[in-house]
Amino acid sequence: MSLQEGQIIGEESLQPDLRSAQEEEMDRTSRIPIPGWLRIVWQNRKARFGLVLLGVFVFAAIFAPWLAPYDPRDNDFLPFQTPNSDHWLGTTQAGQDIFSQLIWGARASIIVGILAGALATVIGLVIGLVAGYVGGFVDETLSFFINLALVVPTLPLMVVLAAYSPVRGLTTVIIVIGITGWAWGARVKRAQMITLKERDYITASIFAGDSMPRIVFREIMPNMTSLVVAGYIGAATAAIGAEAGLAFLGVGDPLTISWGTMLQWANNSGALLTGQWAWIVPPGLCLALLITALTFINFGVDAISNPHLREE
Amino acid sequence: MAILEVQDFNVTYMTKRKPPFKAVIDANLTVNEGEIVGLVGESGSGKSTLGNAAIRLLDPPGTITGGRALYKGTDITHLSDEELRRLRWKDISTVFQGSMNSLNPVINIERQFVDTIQTHTDDSDAAARRHAEEVLEMVSIEPRYLKFFPHELSGGMKQRVCLALSLVLEPSFVLLDEPTTGLDVVVQRSILQNLKELQQRLGFSVLIISHDLGAIMEVSDRVAVMYNGQIVDTQPARQLLEHPKHPYSSMLLDAYRELWVPAGESGDADGERASGAEAQRGFLFKPPAKTEPVVMTVANLGKTFSRRRGLKASTVVAVDDVSFTLERGKITALVGQSGSGKSTIAKLVTGIEKYDTGSIRFGETEVRSLRGKALRDYRSHIQMVFQDPYSALNPAHTVLHSLMRPLQNYKGMGGKAARARAIEMLEAVGLTPASRFIDKNPHQLSGGQRQRVVVARALAPDPDILIADEPTSMLDVSIRAEILEILNRLVRDTNIAMLYITHDLLSARMLADEIMVLNHGKVVEQGDSHEVIANPQDEYTHLLLSSIPNPFADLDVPTVLDRA
Amino acid sequence: MIYFLRKIVFFILTLWAAATLNFIIPRIQGGDPAQAIVQRIVGSNQTVDPRQVEAIRLMLGVPDDPLPQQYVDYMGAILRGEFGISYSYMPYTVTHMIGEALPWTLVLVGITQILSFIIGTLVGTWAAWRRNGAFDSVITTASSFFGTLPFFWIAMMIVYLFAFELAWFPDGGGYSGEVTAGWNWDFIRSAAYHSILPAFCLMVVGPIGWIMGMRNTMVQTLGEDYTRLARAKGLTDRRIALTYGARNAILPNVTGFAISLGGLVGGTIFIEQIFDYPGMGQLMFDALGNRDYPLMQAIFLFITVGVLTANFLADMLYGVIDPRVRRGGES
Repeated sequence: MSLQEGQIIGEESLQPDLRSAQEEEMDRTSRIPIPGWLRIVWQNRKARFGLVLLGVFVFAAIFAPWLAPYDPRDNDFLPFQTPNSDHWLGTTQAGQDIFSQLIWGARASIIVGILAGALATVIGLVIGLVAGYVGGFVDETLSFFINLALVVPTLPLMVVLAAYSPVRGLTTVIIVIGITGWAWGARVKRAQMITLKERDYITASIFAGDSMPRIVFREIMPNMTSLVVAGYIGAATAAIGAEAGLAFLGVGDPLTISWGTMLQWANNSGALLTGQWAWIVPPGLCLALLITALTFINFGVDAISNPHLREE
Repeated sequence: MAILEVQDFNVTYMTKRKPPFKAVIDANLTVNEGEIVGLVGESGSGKSTLGNAAIRLLDPPGTITGGRALYKGTDITHLSDEELRRLRWKDISTVFQGSMNSLNPVINIERQFVDTIQTHTDDSDAAARRHAEEVLEMVSIEPRYLKFFPHELSGGMKQRVCLALSLVLEPSFVLLDEPTTGLDVVVQRSILQNLKELQQRLGFSVLIISHDLGAIMEVSDRVAVMYNGQIVDTQPARQLLEHPKHPYSSMLLDAYRELWVPAGESGDADGERASGAEAQRGFLFKPPAKTEPVVMTVANLGKTFSRRRGLKASTVVAVDDVSFTLERGKITALVGQSGSGKSTIAKLVTGIEKYDTGSIRFGETEVRSLRGKALRDYRSHIQMVFQDPYSALNPAHTVLHSLMRPLQNYKGMGGKAARARAIEMLEAVGLTPASRFIDKNPHQLSGGQRQRVVVARALAPDPDILIADEPTSMLDVSIRAEILEILNRLVRDTNIAMLYITHDLLSARMLADEIMVLNHGKVVEQGDSHEVIANPQDEYTHLLLSSIPNPFADLDVPTVLDRA
Repeated sequence: MIYFLRKIVFFILTLWAAATLNFIIPRIQGGDPAQAIVQRIVGSNQTVDPRQVEAIRLMLGVPDDPLPQQYVDYMGAILRGEFGISYSYMPYTVTHMIGEALPWTLVLVGITQILSFIIGTLVGTWAAWRRNGAFDSVITTASSFFGTLPFFWIAMMIVYLFAFELAWFPDGGGYSGEVTAGWNWDFIRSAAYHSILPAFCLMVVGPIGWIMGMRNTMVQTLGEDYTRLARAKGLTDRRIALTYGARNAILPNVTGFAISLGGLVGGTIFIEQIFDYPGMGQLMFDALGNRDYPLMQAIFLFITVGVLTANFLADMLYGVIDPRVRRGGES
């Protein structure tokens, strides 16, 4: 309490104990306008590092055709080469250039992260907001599905879904990841919705004659931005990991070059036994770095809403 | 002999990004043996910081940056944690602000007592338990509650348990930080009396911190007034009342004096009546004509909530046979403690909840029958001022946005016209020049300024009725009167009817023409506001009135209780 | 009490929903895989066991029965525990195959996850108590580092190092070919020896979630008023840390344990793949590779039911350790 007293000092204010510390915190959070919001993220050292790192990967993904020395599918080279001046990371069992594959692999991860993350976020947002706002029986029903989706083991479900899908492309992978990964976001957003809709300013909007959709999208949503952004980054991170995992297990898209498929090929071709380190370590590290970048950015976003995690 | 002496004390909040903030500046304060010293100030004045720092309970980034805190002559600001730990509770104990959170939710009351006792003594479990039973009895709580968990006790009981816990090792000094804030006046009264009794019996010294001057004056021997981090006035309670040394103390006292011993009472409650601009609206039903004095008639209103707990269903009668009318240019106060059903009545009247029995007629319209578009239209005639100004304005939007929505929705105004009207509204609630406020976000405004914006928004659609639900209870004492004054002026000027919902009988007396006292959903007393206060008929009204701390009780002046 | 009742109802409903999901998934595509399998069986001139067709019919719905009838048959069979014959492991039944694989996974997952939870909670508690200290920094950094590395990649590295380079442990399999499976000492020793590396892989990342969860919640509970009061009461550090900080912080972790179980199963599937470990995950991929859809679906159902049951038990435990739930509280 004393800490908060210090922070709100200088203006006359309410009796502090009549409002919970949490509400106080949430209001302080939502009070921060967008530019200030980005500034907090940028001020966080980890988040800044994450943003720069993410920038590097996005750059590689966009400019892969120009950055890669060879066509990643070109199998005209001598297979199983160790790193040399022509092939910085060597070649695969099929005689493809590993370094070129590594650069192209960024594309698959970034695309899956953006799209599957968006799909999961949208599903979670709609279900969470409706459940939270409407309440009653609708909430009971939707909450059941949210809780169900939370506890059902995701990977086996993804495997079964992928196994039955008639086509096996990146689109399938994105859809499978999206429809299995929305539950956590829905749960968080539902909780937030329930808190926010109890605010007097929402009642005030009803008294000001605003319609229901307007209240949800214009009055409540702007107060949830940091939550939605954090949720999106989290979902994208999970999606990137899931794509790599599925590809490694051989249930991904066999035609897409991704870090996951690279590791699958490396594992299947016994790269471990032959000591082709340059084939195994880089894709794993790239995945780790990309996931680190996103996780670090989220540290910054989390810090907006949770001062406990703020760097002091 | 001095138990606690704070000398030239300074506390600073040091954060990396912001410049250091001095929360306590050169404070001097002494608490003598067997003395109760009150420390009053508004939120943000640094009073809690001072209290907690003086017993080394300050959380970082707060730091003691100067001065000494002597406990029985020993400077405790430099004691090691272990030396300090041995002093704690046996010598220095405390009760925190709003004890809702002070008890560990996962262990029962008995364990919390036994833990505390055994940390400092060699008592056996049985002896510790007996001891706990004794102190609980001192605060009038039966020993069986020892087996309870905190969530099974009411707020008042938790506070008593915390008080008992603070006394269990018979400390010589107790710090009480807002010990009764948030509790009903009746409960507050009994806890403070209990404290005073115990203090006289056991002889410990107390530093009691509160924003509520009334409560402080009631129990304290001496009072210190804190303002902007400095102690500006320290005097025996009675002396402070008669000769405040600092303008801030006088201002604080005046706020209370206005409630208790108002100087010039006009007696003319009607004020002048101005006719508001007649607007084209209410096409879905006929609103009462502007010439009709009665705008709303509530008759035999009843509402029962049924709560399902597993297989058992229990019912709570929230509103029981309530009748009243609202008239143009008049203020009707609905007074009750928490749980009395006053907020439920507000929800029924505004159509947020449907009532079970009785009727609410707005002109010729039965409110219960309104749905969809008609209900929305009804709400342009009945507007609300909310309790918490921090929650009533959307933090994501500007003041202009909040004011424009009702204008655009109900009046069909375009951007320019709405802005012009919004400026007028802001000026009407005293936010001048309006251009300084209109484009601000709520967080850039103070609590009082926000509440003015909330009032302006409520008046924007030219309503016939204004419902004000505890509009000042979350504001500092010094601003309360201003907000009430604005409400009063606007109601009289624009000739609308107002329902003023409050827990505070005295402010109801000051503002309203008529008072209804509500207890357990029933109106126990109803009548002219001055008459009800000076001459209460019902026992419950008596109890409420006698529970309100009256700093002027010992002075030889007639208070509102004495005047008809 | 209501809490327990609600959780029991939820458990039953989720079981039903999982079974129904399992029924729906293959039928979304319009029965293609079922048709394909039946054609292959018929075309291969093998002796067709009617129970094989039965299994396919139950899981995938080949015949032209109306859907509701298929659903009733399917539910009936599941309740009786009849999953028919495995298509790829003839003449063994699906139930038999699962019975072979289940103990391996159960033991591996059970032991590693319980250990992870205990270790993670202890480490998290210590990190929170000495927050911003050296231990906390090291743990937090290491956790985020290992947490971001792809799990199967870590496992590959571990295999390389300990199985190939150092050759301390076998690189795969559940037990040595020289012992006979059963309750004999040699077998148990061999199985234990083979399980060390897979278990170690699971333990590298297993505790991370609990460490971070415990640490962050406890940092919060240490800032609560009741902890501040405990400090004002002069309680010993040990008591404050355990009874006030950790005791309250562990509650959300138990709920977290329940929710994370689904994810843990995923990790096990990778491990079984990499180590060729004869558990459920491995069996699932064998089934997938052999297009043995009935077996695959039965495995999915078993894994899901297992996770739901563990989740249900964690919920029950939560009800016991949180007095607010145990003693008539609403939430």
